[in-house]
Amino acid sequence: MADMATKHQPLAQPIEATPRSAPRRRCSPSYFFLLPTLVIIGFLSLYPIVYSVVLSLYDWNWGARMNFVGLRNYTNLLSGSEFWQILGQTFYFAVGAVTIEVTLGLVLAVIVNGLGFGANIIRTLLLTPLMVSGIVVALIWKVMLDPMLGIVNYFLSVVGLPPSPFLGSQATAMNTIIAIDAWWQTSFVFIILLAGLQSLPAEPHEAARVDGASAWQTFWSVTLPLLRPVLFTVLIFRTIDTLKVFDIVFGTTGGGPRLATEVIQTMTYRTAFSYLQMSQAMTVMVIFSIVIVIISLIYLKLESHGEASGRGKDTP
Amino acid sequence: MRTLGNVSRRIFTYGIALLAVLVTLFPIVWLLNVAVRPQREVFKLPPNLGAPLILDHFQAVWANEGFRNSFMNSVWVTSIGVVLALAIAIPAAYGLSRFRISAKVLIGVWLLLVYMLPEFLFILPMYALYQVVGLYDTHAGLALIYQVHSVPFAIWLIRSFFHDVPGELDDSARIDGCSYFGTLWRIYIPITAPGIAATAILTAIWIWNELTIALALTFSNAHTITVGVSSFRGYAAMRWGEMAAASVVAIVPMLLFALIAQKYIVKGLTLGSVKG
Repeated sequence: MADMATKHQPLAQPIEATPRSAPRRRCSPSYFFLLPTLVIIGFLSLYPIVYSVVLSLYDWNWGARMNFVGLRNYTNLLSGSEFWQILGQTFYFAVGAVTIEVTLGLVLAVIVNGLGFGANIIRTLLLTPLMVSGIVVALIWKVMLDPMLGIVNYFLSVVGLPPSPFLGSQATAMNTIIAIDAWWQTSFVFIILLAGLQSLPAEPHEAARVDGASAWQTFWSVTLPLLRPVLFTVLIFRTIDTLKVFDIVFGTTGGGPRLATEVIQTMTYRTAFSYLQMSQAMTVMVIFSIVIVIISLIYLKLESHGEASGRGKDTP
Repeated sequence: MRTLGNVSRRIFTYGIALLAVLVTLFPIVWLLNVAVRPQREVFKLPPNLGAPLILDHFQAVWANEGFRNSFMNSVWVTSIGVVLALAIAIPAAYGLSRFRISAKVLIGVWLLLVYMLPEFLFILPMYALYQVVGLYDTHAGLALIYQVHSVPFAIWLIRSFFHDVPGELDDSARIDGCSYFGTLWRIYIPITAPGIAATAILTAIWIWNELTIALALTFSNAHTITVGVSSFRGYAAMRWGEMAAASVVAIVPMLLFALIAQKYIVKGLTLGSVKG
């Protein structure tokens, strides 16, 4: 991977030869500073990608059996129903969790932004779930949502609602995990949107108020459009993060009951480490990575577009 | 009328905020509660808040050598991982923010994609490689693979902190005969120390809490605290006390961390996305 850095070196020279300020002209150590990143991250990313793509063309079970099978892993995977079901469930989880988190996070950010006394303490307290690891989040909720002995069903009975099997039934398990993720990660959306709100200029809001706009109108047509870039960034990070969900599924249901909560990454774990189908697991990862890359590139495209039309004016 | 409306709106917003705080904190408080009550008391509904407080579950968990080791393993892996991430990311952030690099956009996109890619894409090939080169189930091996996530994140953050350093400062340092490295070391790092601290803290929290990669790439020597906690998964049926005690041990360091360094955490979390 070292040649990756050196290969880029000549490319940099012509541009470095005509820099803006004189002191930077003599030598160009720019790629020297980037060398550790290019070498280490280059290796840690390119090696697995190439390895996965190559091995996905084989039939390998961790052992001596390694036969070239061409695209058979791909055709098997894509023609079966299990992969599509699990991919669908993964997206269902992501869309559900992100929708709830962004909605709740936005509401909380607006509310805390409007608070005077105690806002800082409330912000600090709302941040705590982010410090808790996913596996602990999973175990906490597993205890609280126990159908027989859990405190949540007890609370439901107190207010006269029927108990729910939560994680124990195919019908409710996935939505329960979505709710758990919302408890865990709404804080992330909240804290970033709160900072976004606090960095907004005051003038447009004052102008709207002078014009007699209601609070709701001001929020809808002034605050929200101004907040759009931040909202967009939060949205993409939560989307990718939820698509990659592993620990809270692993810790609560392990993908069950009957695959009802299986997602792509738990499926890969099972395929590779329980069934020892290494090549099939890599095939899943190659396809899934392509999906992730496409979503990320669409985001970058949209973001740079938004920057050109929206924020470009302020920055020289 | 208007003031009355304002007062009721105040009450309403504070009500919602307090409800959110309650929902946020209750599970953590409940975890603590389960960890310090005798097993049979925990199963009682309605909950018996007068039940005796005990530390037996903590003693039982801490008596387990594997779990004790997992705590120390996490301390090691987190320390190595953070140092490595900063050592790689600080120069890169400097290079990207102060030089005109033709491939700057390309490198930025590449780092973002590496950050976004799913864990198992890295895990499976690295599992095979680590078995061969002897890095499987080692602190260094785990800390190394964590860099695919930590370095792009750290570069992204530190770069935005470096952008705030006035260009004149660094030009004058150069004229005074500072080398590029000297400028980075004497000007940039001291000025942006709070930002670098924020980056280090967020990286530490991420590594400490990471499960997916640790689960696959460690076994009995370097297994981290999250792997240790996840081994209590099977206990969920009955031994809630020990499971909760192990969970508390796993989250207390990060909660303390958050309490002490809250300002930095908020700064680090919000900077990258708000400033773009």
